[in-house]
This record gives sequence, structure tokens and C-alpha cells, in this order.
Amino acid sequence: MPPTRADASPQTDRPDVDENGVDRAQIREMLRLTPEERLRRVEAFVEAALEIRELNEPRSVR
Amino acid sequence: MSRAQFAEILRLFAANDVEFVVVGMTAGILHGAPVTTIDLDVVHRRSPQNVARLLRVLGELDAVYRHDPRQLRPEESHLSGPGHQLLVTRFGDLDCLGTIDEGRGYEELMPHTVEMRLSGGAAVRVLSLPALIEAKERAGRAKDLAALPVLRATLDERERR
Repeated sequence: MPPTRADASPQTDRPDVDENGVDRAQIREMLRLTPEERLRRVEAFVEAALEIRELNEPRSVR
Repeated sequence: MSRAQFAEILRLFAANDVEFVVVGMTAGILHGAPVTTIDLDVVHRRSPQNVARLLRVLGELDAVYRHDPRQLRPEESHLSGPGHQLLVTRFGDLDCLGTIDEGRGYEELMPHTVEMRLSGGAAVRVLSLPALIEAKERAGRAKDLAALPVLRATLDERERR
């Protein structure tokens, strides 16, 4: 779900969403991970998205 | 068949001493940008020895050209040039790029990279976040410009830490 808050994070005093609409809290969360953990998170997302896309592709009709 | 196991591709490259730099949005992800991509972009060193090592690994990965129904495999001549080889492998889509960013190859990019470690100790070279931002600014295409706010914000958050 996209962020809807532009108020300050309780941990940082900086806004969670900046003036460009970038979710800074999401970046801070990513920065707490190792590089490989960041990559694994994206891999899982892509795998799931591609699976859903394939399940919903129109099947050929003979 | 797995479609997005980029860490496995990187680990296989490292284990076989392939010289390469991770570029594109995967580099951004490794630096902490909360973005996504469905392919892995690397710029490989185009020396004959490295191209031979890369070809061996691409064989292990069952790499073929992804937009060609003939299932063609990349060859030495393809990987020795400056062009882009858009492949599909058993671990997902992989773009082997001879050059990026106005003709910059592996040697030109290396001074602008950082080393990152994967679990198990494999080391990979990744284009630095400032260099990635500059490359996307120079490219100036809509898709590059769209990525800039997140990449710049990631650099800003890193510098505050």
C-alpha cells in the first residue's frame, strides 16, 4: 500500500515521505539489511509478480 | 524454472573468476534503493580470457537470447563487442553489456565501483551509487529520470547514517 503519511517518523524526526513522494522510511528499512538481503527481498517480489502474471495470461484457444 | 535468482548468478560469476561490474537498478537495490527490476545488468571485462570464463558460466546457466525464438546461445564474438546481450537464464533475465553510458566499459567503470560481499564470501563489484545517479542523469531517458528521485533519496539517507 502506498504511504499516505508525510509526518515525522517516531525514530528520526525526519519525514517518512519526502517532497518528491519518495518513501524515506522504506529506504531506511532497506539500509538496515545487508546487500544480499536487499536483493533477496526484490527476488521474492519479482518471483511472486511473475507467477501472478503467468496465472492470468490469456490462454490460447484452438 | 526460477526467474529471479540474481544472487545465484552473481555467486556463480564470482566463483568462476568472471570480472564484471553490477550496474543498473540491481546496483541501486544493492545500495539500498527500494526499487525493483526483473533483470540483472552487468558490464563484463571484454578480454579474451574473461569472455571465455563468462561463456563457460553462461553455458552452465543455459543462457540464450531472450527475444529470439531460435534459442540462440551467445558466442565469443558477441561478448567481445561493446553491444548489449539480452539473455534469459535458468536463474532469470541477464543483460551482459559490453559498454554503458556513452561507451564506458569495465575498465572505465572500475574506479567508480565498490566491493560488496555475498553470503559465503563471494565478492562482487558494484557501480557506486553516485556513479549510478550520474549515469542515469546523462542517459536522460524517461525511465532513467523516473528512477532518480529514489536513488538520490537513498544516497541522502546513506550519507545521514
